[in-house]
Amino acid sequence: MEFVDALTGFRVDGRRPNEMRKLKGEVGVVARADGSALFEMGNTRVIAAVYGPREVQNKGQQVNSKEALVRCEYRMAEFSTGDRRRKPKGDRRSTEISLVIRQTMEASILTELMPRSQIDIFVQVLQADGGTRSACINAATLALADAGIPMRDIVTSCSAGYLCSTPLLDLNYVEDSAGGPDVTVGILAKMDKVTLLQMDAKLPMDTFENVMGLAIEGCKAIATHIREVLLENTKRLECQRG
Amino acid sequence: MSAQAGTGTYSPAAAAGDKRREKREELRRHLAEDANWPRADGRSFHDCRPAFMQTGPTTAASGSAYAEFGKTKVIVSVFGPRESKKAMLYSDVGRLNCNVSYTTFATPVRGQGADNKEYSSMLHKALEGAVMLHTFPKTTVDVFALVLESGGSDLPIIISCASLALADAGIMMYDLVTSVSVSCFGKNIIIDPTSDEEAWQDGSLVVAFMPARKEITQLTLTGEWSDGKITNAVELCMDACSKLGDILRDRLKDTATLTSE
Amino acid sequence: MVGLSEGEKHFIRGGIAQGIRTDGRRRLQFRALSVETGVIPQANGSARVRLGATEIIASVKAELGKPNILHPDKGKVSIFVDCSPTAEPTFEGRGSEELSTELSVALQRCLLGGKSGAGAAIDLSSLIIVEGKVCWDLYIDGLVVSSDGNLLDALAAAIKVALSNTGIPKVNVSLSAASDEEPEVDVSNEEFLQFDTSSVPVIVTLTKVGQHYIVDATSEEESQMSSAVSVSVNRNGQVCGLTKRGGAGLDPSVIFDMISVAKHVSQQFIAHLDSKISAAEAAAE
Repeated sequence: MEFVDALTGFRVDGRRPNEMRKLKGEVGVVARADGSALFEMGNTRVIAAVYGPREVQNKGQQVNSKEALVRCEYRMAEFSTGDRRRKPKGDRRSTEISLVIRQTMEASILTELMPRSQIDIFVQVLQADGGTRSACINAATLALADAGIPMRDIVTSCSAGYLCSTPLLDLNYVEDSAGGPDVTVGILAKMDKVTLLQMDAKLPMDTFENVMGLAIEGCKAIATHIREVLLENTKRLECQRG
Repeated sequence: MSAQAGTGTYSPAAAAGDKRREKREELRRHLAEDANWPRADGRSFHDCRPAFMQTGPTTAASGSAYAEFGKTKVIVSVFGPRESKKAMLYSDVGRLNCNVSYTTFATPVRGQGADNKEYSSMLHKALEGAVMLHTFPKTTVDVFALVLESGGSDLPIIISCASLALADAGIMMYDLVTSVSVSCFGKNIIIDPTSDEEAWQDGSLVVAFMPARKEITQLTLTGEWSDGKITNAVELCMDACSKLGDILRDRLKDTATLTSE
Repeated sequence: MVGLSEGEKHFIRGGIAQGIRTDGRRRLQFRALSVETGVIPQANGSARVRLGATEIIASVKAELGKPNILHPDKGKVSIFVDCSPTAEPTFEGRGSEELSTELSVALQRCLLGGKSGAGAAIDLSSLIIVEGKVCWDLYIDGLVVSSDGNLLDALAAAIKVALSNTGIPKVNVSLSAASDEEPEVDVSNEEFLQFDTSSVPVIVTLTKVGQHYIVDATSEEESQMSSAVSVSVNRNGQVCGLTKRGGAGLDPSVIFDMISVAKHVSQQFIAHLDSKISAAEAAAE
C-alpha cells in the first residue's frame, strides 16, 4: 500500500509528512478527581485522572518512604477499537503501557517533596486511532498540572515513523499497523531532555536521527499547545476569583 | 457437493431444539390463557412444591442446611465467625461473605450454572439486613451455597436455606429470611416456578421476607408489570414466605429437642 | 470511599428531613442533566450523559451474528458496564468488577424483560435478518468516567440516549436456492435504519434516608442510605424492572409507596430526557 502519494506527497488521511493531527486539550473533565484532563490527537481520545498526593494505601508497595509513590493504570474502553473484543483486564499490552507512562511521569514529578504519599494516575482510552501511548502521556501531564503536583517540567510525547522512504509525524492507526518503524519519544520540553524513547522494527542510523528529530519537533509543538491550554485554564480560574 | 450432504444429514441438536421449543410454546400459551391449566407437576398456580429442609448435613461447618424443593437441591454451609483477613480495614461491624456455586452437573447442559454470577451478591443483599452484624466486629462469617441440582427457583431456595444454616450456626439474626419467587404468564401468576416454566416466563419477581418482622429485605422484578399485579404477586409471595418461615422454625425446634434429649 | 464526620452526616440527614438537601435541591429533584450524542464515531450509536458530577459514556455496536437455537426469530442484546478507575481510585485493577457486574445485571433485568421477551425495551424480533441464520447482535457498553452517586439511573439514561442515536445499517439479503446454504448478506454503508426507542424505560432510584426518600442521590447522600429501590418505568407507566439495594428491611407498604412515587417522577424524567435528546440531535446536525 502507498502511504505517501508519489505525486502530491500527501498521506492517507490528507496530511503532509511532517504535519500533526488536530490537538485538543481540556482540563477538569472529571469533577471528583484531584486533577483530570481530556486529550485528543485526531481521532485518538483519552481521559486522564490524578488522585493524590494522599496517604499510601498499601504500605507494601512503598519502596522509599522519602519519596512519593507514583502509580499508573492504563485501560482501554470496550468500544475504543473498531472491532469489539472483550479482553481480560490487565493484559500484557496494558501492563506494559502502564509501566511506560509511570516511568515517564515519575521522571518529571518532584517526588522528594511529597514523602510517604502516593499519586495515582489513571488513563482511560475512549478512542484508539494510533499513538495512544503518546496521547496518554500528554493527558497525564495536563492532569498532573491540573492537580497542582510539582513537576520539573512539562513532559510531552509524540510518535514518528518511516514509510515509503519518508519520515512521517504522528502516525495514525493505518500507518501504525503498516509494520514500519515506529519511534515514540517523550521529552522534558523546556529542559530539552529525552525521557522516553521506544522503537520497534529497524532503521538505518542516519534515518533514525531524522525520524527522531521529527518526533522531537512534534513533542515541542505539543508542549506549546499544552502550555496554552494550562495558561487559558489559569486565566479562567483567575477570572472566577474576580 | 457439501450442500447436498448437508440436506441428507440428520442434525439431532436442531431437531431436538425445535421440538423443545414447540412444547414450551404450547405450555406458555396454556399458562397464559387458561387459569385452571394443571402445571406439569400437577400443582395449581398458587401451590408451592413440597419443601424438604434439614439442618446439619456437613459436620465440619459451624452450621449447615439442606433444602430440596422438587428437583432443586441446595446445600449451604456456614463457617465462622473467624478473624477478618489482615488486608481488610478495621471494621466495627462483622462481614458477611456469601458465595453461590453450581456443581457442573447441576444443569441439563454441563457447567451452565456458572452463568448466574450475580447470585452471590443477591444472596448477600437478602441476608445482610437480617444478620446482627454488630455482634461480631472485626470478624467474618462465610456462607457457601452449593446448588447440587437446579430445578427452578434456585435463588429463593438458596436464600431460605442459607438463613436456616445461619440459624443452625448460632449467628445472631433479627429474624429468619425466607424467599419465594413467582413467574408471570400473560395475566396469570404462578408461584415457585420450575426451570421449564422459568425459561418461558413473561416476567418474574423474587421476594425475600422476614416473616416475624414483616419486612422485605430483597425484591427484584423483571418484565413488564402493571401496578395491581405487583401488589398481588408480592402479597402472594409474602403469604408463602410466612408459611415457609413456620417450616424453618419447626426444623430448628426439631434439632433443638434432639440435642437436649 | 466517602469519609464524613459526624457533623456532616447529621447535616445531610437533617437537610433531607427538612426537604432541602446540601446542594439546595428538593427531595424529588434531579441534578442538572446534560446530554451529548455521537461522541464515539466508531460505534453505531453513542452518548455522553452527565448528571451532576456523574458522567457516563454509552456506546451501541451492532455486529452480524447467529441467533440462538431456542429463539431463531430473535436477535441478541448484551449489556456490559465498566467502571473506569478515573472515576474512583478503588476501581483500579479488579476493584470495580463486583460493582460492574451488579450494574450490568440490574440493567439487563430492567431493559431486557422476561425470558420470553415480554416487556423488553428493545424488540428483539426487529433485529432478525434471516430467521434462524443471521441476526444483529447488539452490544451495549456503558463506561463510568466519573462517579458521584446514582450510577444506575445515569447509565440507563445514557443507554436510552445512545439507542436513540443508533442507526442500524440496511442489509440486502440474496437468498440462494438451496436453503441450507449460508445466505449472502450485503451490509449497506450509506443507508441506516433508525431504532425505535419509544419503549426504552428509564430507571429512577429512590434512596431512603431516615423516613424520607430522595431521587438522584450524590455519593455523600448514598453513604447515609438505609436502602434504595430502583424502578424502571417505560413511557406507558408500566414497571419493567425493580431492584432493591441496601441491607435494611422495608415494610411492604413502604415499597408500594416508593413504586408509585417512582412512577410519578419517571414520567417527568422521561419528558425532560426526551427534550434533551432532541436538543442534542439538533445540535449534532
